[in-house]
Amino acid sequence: MSNTDIKLNAINVWISSLLMDLVRHLRYFVVIAEELHFGNAAARLGMAQPPLSQRVKRLEDELGVRLFDRSSRQVRLTDAGRLLLPEAREIVARTERIRELMARAVRGDTASLRAAVPPDLGASVLAALIARFRAGHPDVRLTPTEMGTSDQVDALLGGELDLGVLRHPVAAAGLGFGPILVQHPGVLLREEDELTTLATVHLADLAGRELVLPPRALEPGLHDETLAGCRRHGFVPAEVRHAVHGQFMIGLVLAGTAVALGHRTDVPGVVWRPLAGAPLAWRISTAWRGEPSGHVAGFADLTTRVLREDAGMSDEGAPPRTWVAPRPATGFLS
Amino acid sequence: MKQLEQIFRTAGVTGWLHAVDIDTGREVGLGADEPVVLASVFKVPLLVAFYRQAERGLIDPAERVTVSPEGRPGGGTGVSAMLDEVTASLRDLAYLTISVSDNASADTLLARVGLAEVNAALADLGLSRTWVEHSCAGLFTAMREDAGVADMAELSQMTTDPGVLARLRVLDPARTSRSTCRDMTRLLGLIWRDEAAGPGSCAAVRRLMGLQVWPHRLASGFPYDDVAVSGKTGTLPTIRNEVGVIEYPDGGRYAIAVFTRSIGTAQNQPRADAAIGTAARVAVDHLRAPFVGPDTI
Repeated sequence: MSNTDIKLNAINVWISSLLMDLVRHLRYFVVIAEELHFGNAAARLGMAQPPLSQRVKRLEDELGVRLFDRSSRQVRLTDAGRLLLPEAREIVARTERIRELMARAVRGDTASLRAAVPPDLGASVLAALIARFRAGHPDVRLTPTEMGTSDQVDALLGGELDLGVLRHPVAAAGLGFGPILVQHPGVLLREEDELTTLATVHLADLAGRELVLPPRALEPGLHDETLAGCRRHGFVPAEVRHAVHGQFMIGLVLAGTAVALGHRTDVPGVVWRPLAGAPLAWRISTAWRGEPSGHVAGFADLTTRVLREDAGMSDEGAPPRTWVAPRPATGFLS
Repeated sequence: MKQLEQIFRTAGVTGWLHAVDIDTGREVGLGADEPVVLASVFKVPLLVAFYRQAERGLIDPAERVTVSPEGRPGGGTGVSAMLDEVTASLRDLAYLTISVSDNASADTLLARVGLAEVNAALADLGLSRTWVEHSCAGLFTAMREDAGVADMAELSQMTTDPGVLARLRVLDPARTSRSTCRDMTRLLGLIWRDEAAGPGSCAAVRRLMGLQVWPHRLASGFPYDDVAVSGKTGTLPTIRNEVGVIEYPDGGRYAIAVFTRSIGTAQNQPRADAAIGTAARVAVDHLRAPFVGPDTI
């Protein structure tokens, strides 16, 4: 280490001790200002009165003002003292937050949480999710992003995401899942569509229309299961259009080009109708890699609650297993 | 996004690939050195070890063995699906092992060759990333244990459940038979250059791989009468693989390994099957292009 380094080091230590000292003096000042009695303040601070008086004198010398008026038998704040009080409180509180934050960093439980939700989750659900998480965990920095299921799987496995909210079926080694919730999508029709006169629409009623779905590359499970379900119930779309974002999907519906599936939305010109017999089931759950940390588990629980309460998704237990007809070419170890 | 990634992504799978010109060494890959689950592709190393032992006089390929109907591992093809006792030569069981991925035949051969000998052969060939962990029966036992079911019929109804799949050891390269795409193309190159064993043995392995019946994966990418496709598939829930060699009439021959894992859990994954063919075709076209391109596409 060079002489210059040693000097710089010494200066740093000197500055930091000065700062620490200033914060400590401000803390004494705040307590005295609150008590307006040196004896009580000293008792609260767990120190004797003479050193406390000396410290305040030093702070007044440092700042070049008198903070307390001790001329009468009562202790009173001077105008300068009143000006200082809110600033001093702020600095003292911030310093305490810094200490706490660093102590948590040392313990390893600090935090930021990177979470992803599907692009079509819905603005109000997302808002509820974020608001409720912030209320419950003001100390955790939440970074929400929108991401399709495939991207979420990649990001979770790559360690770029702490918690995902994704569509099933999903299989990926090393991912854990929260309870699987089910949403039965309805159909979004253009206001002028003749089917809007019906209270519920059968999938077969949609025959011949075009359908908007999320792209297969983003939502492979939902895309395939939905198309299979539509075909099975008599709706073979004339064409499948792909939309990542809700606005594009709504645009295609408004234009009369296609119908879309999804939850109820209040968009002028678009009418939502439930599908008779709830033939389609969209399954969604939280997901994480490995064992979830405390924050991840907490946010996963909260997300599941919000999806139940604010998005009207139901916990139908394990999804009904569909019968797998054995075929030699797709059998195990074929 | 790169072309290969795009093909896999559109099919809803994660894909790993390595393709190499057997004679020039020109190559192209995507995640070629990452560990992958072999599934039934392990039957190729088994076959190589079988013929290597035959060369040492330890096994007579023409020896007739009887496979009893009891205790056969599950499977929908070959001896596995037959009801009665089967007597056949070891080399004919080898034929069923490769041509229709027959598990009962494979385990009969493996019992004769020995798991340790298969791994010893792999090590001897310098395929250090490849490991055979269990027989077909052993693999199925691990699956039933992890899924918590007693029999194969029940198991086959549970493997579309993401919760069950997450528990299966046999889908984790670290805990099942594994390799890398590059190790597999290296093995194929050794077989096609008569270096994996003697020329007669390598010719026998090539013949059997050429008799594989499945048209839906590698072969689907090369719908040409004058192109030969030899291969071996591998299939487990969400896993669709094939390794093989594509031979063109101008003498060009390309070893290729494609391993995929689907995001969806459906047992039928026609897009994953087709993506294996499409990706292989793109890779081989790249290797056959007159200019020297990058080693990733």
